[in-house]
Amino acid sequence: MKKKWLPYLLVSPYIIHFIVFVAFPVLFSLVLTFHEWNIISPMKFKGFSNYIKMFNDRMFWKSITNTFKFLIIHIPLQIIISLALAEFLNQNIKLKGFFRAAFFLPVIVSGVVVTILWQQLFGFDSGLFNRMLVSIGLNKVGWLTDPNIAMGSIAIMATWKNVGLYVILFLVGLQTVPPHYYEAASIEGANHWQKFRKITLPMINPTIFMVVILSTIGGFSLFIEPYIMTGGGPLSSTMSSVLYIYKQAFQYFHMGYSVTLGFFFAMLILGVVVIQKKYIEQGDD
Amino acid sequence: MLKHIYIYFLVLLVGCNSPNDQKDNTLLYWSSNNRGEIEFSEYFVKQWNNKEKTKIKFQPIPEGQSSEEVILASVVGKTTPDIYANMWQGSVEMYAKAGVLVPLDTLDGFTEFIKARCTKKVLEEITSSDGHIYQVPWKINPIMTIYNKRLMSDFGLSKLPSTYDEYFKAGKKIKADKDNDGYIDQWVGYTAVKVIWYERLMNFYPLYIAASDGGALIKDNKAAFNNEYGVGVFRFLQELYQNEFYSKERLTAGQDRFITEDIFTKWIGPWEIRHVDKFKQRDDFEIAFYPVQVPKGHNGPVYTYSDPKNIVVFNTCKQPQNAWNFIKTLIDKEGDKKLLEITTQLPNRKNLETDSIFKEYFESHPKMKTFAKQANYLKGVDNSEVIVEVFDIISQEYEACVIYNKKTPEKAMEDAEKAVNNLLKN
Repeated sequence: MKKKWLPYLLVSPYIIHFIVFVAFPVLFSLVLTFHEWNIISPMKFKGFSNYIKMFNDRMFWKSITNTFKFLIIHIPLQIIISLALAEFLNQNIKLKGFFRAAFFLPVIVSGVVVTILWQQLFGFDSGLFNRMLVSIGLNKVGWLTDPNIAMGSIAIMATWKNVGLYVILFLVGLQTVPPHYYEAASIEGANHWQKFRKITLPMINPTIFMVVILSTIGGFSLFIEPYIMTGGGPLSSTMSSVLYIYKQAFQYFHMGYSVTLGFFFAMLILGVVVIQKKYIEQGDD
Repeated sequence: MLKHIYIYFLVLLVGCNSPNDQKDNTLLYWSSNNRGEIEFSEYFVKQWNNKEKTKIKFQPIPEGQSSEEVILASVVGKTTPDIYANMWQGSVEMYAKAGVLVPLDTLDGFTEFIKARCTKKVLEEITSSDGHIYQVPWKINPIMTIYNKRLMSDFGLSKLPSTYDEYFKAGKKIKADKDNDGYIDQWVGYTAVKVIWYERLMNFYPLYIAASDGGALIKDNKAAFNNEYGVGVFRFLQELYQNEFYSKERLTAGQDRFITEDIFTKWIGPWEIRHVDKFKQRDDFEIAFYPVQVPKGHNGPVYTYSDPKNIVVFNTCKQPQNAWNFIKTLIDKEGDKKLLEITTQLPNRKNLETDSIFKEYFESHPKMKTFAKQANYLKGVDNSEVIVEVFDIISQEYEACVIYNKKTPEKAMEDAEKAVNNLLKN
């Protein structure tokens, strides 16, 4: 008799955690998408009006476009740089431990601190980057004030912040490639690029897949950088979807609407990740 | 969502201070967490607790991203304090409509006291749409133009630039490339360029109030700012940026171009007096204040934004009458004098400049006297539960028109009016 309830007892911490922190919030949020609620007043049933509003909300669609712009710059940049650095660290170089720590350091620094630091570097009049440009006779760049450049600047900063993590992942991937593959290729007369192209890349494909997925999910959740650096400007060019959802929820207290946007956005991320997975698996074949 | 998790935790954190933990004869009082207001609150709580049966437990508002977020979390978690001092006037209507505040005009002695303390205009401003009063007008920080006295003579300015035209002329005179790198690095002024709504309380809004002699943004549930004053303010600010009299730089909190003497003026409240004293880099750095700029031909006194912060009593309070009795001690004449002395903030009371009790203070603090004079010509914010969204809409148009010159002032104002009317209709 005792043994019958014991398994339930053992899994109960997880079940309780799941119900309280996952199942209930998800179900409650789903119910909320059909309501208007400002947190402090009673909810009002609104049918599908939040969904209709979402499809007509130009700023929301702009925020999605902005997020994709960020991903298009950020993901390739992140993969190329982290792979190049991992390749560098995979060689027999001096101070390997120092470089590993140095590349990883930005990952553990608070996002807010990094953002404030880069905001000063990007400053138009007094920022270090523009001072350097002027000192070599080039024009200043509106890193955060030019609507065509601001999202790119944020992508550069986010890449610097996160690249250390992916360097470690790629390094692990590179170290799983059997060295005799390279030895055999060398005997056959393959050069560095051919070895990288024909051996390294196929062998670390699972790592590339993981990095792409993690970067995509991380990129979709772009929030701190535009929130602190630009507030979504200039001209809404850095208004990411998460920042817009946050504004709807915690600035205007449109909880029902923000949750509707959140649900749609979660489905969008799921769709993108599934497509990426299929595409990379096809490449693998 | 991280933010959701954050607010849940904030609710839990704030819940640790649940008023349910208080004894029945203890009231929980939250103030702002700046040093001056903590000292001010501690002084009065001590005085009260020495005399009264009902005790006050004081604590600064718990740490959070912003005081608004902490208050919201405490309302959601039903862990509000009994008394909260430092509520932005614009936030009160939303809480009043949600029924979480005590209508103070139902308490004995409130109406008489507040009528004796405040002007009719302030009373109209704080009266909710249901006719009740849910906030005690407490303190104000009028927005004025600060200027660097020494730079004025260095730049050869014979008079303070008080109108838009004079300000442009000063801008032309002051604009300079000091290090000869081909870029301007000295300006007539600076104001925040971020698109976040509250930044407009420091530039567009005081200028609009000044031009319109205290005009409203919303009237009869419709946008009321698309007029010659609103358009004029957008044009004034747009030209400042177009002519490079102002920089578009996004400065971080640590960067202050007024302190580094790269700008001559900025729009700011009296808190800047202490800030300049603390951070000035040379002993002959002298400052003074004057009203914000107005269009040419403007007659009469210049109004400005008062930045009002008020006191509220939450409906979780079991002894609202006692709460009001305590609040009275903070805002009677002696309380207001202490507020001035300890926090360098002005009480929101009539005849501040002429009242004999404050005379000595203003004589020894002439800069504060300028603000006391300005206190006769103030406006807070319109009573609307969507006032933040209204400012946000204006802010979006401000950025497009003023900063990036993508729209004419007329078009930007028209678009803002349409969006606000649409918002108010729903």
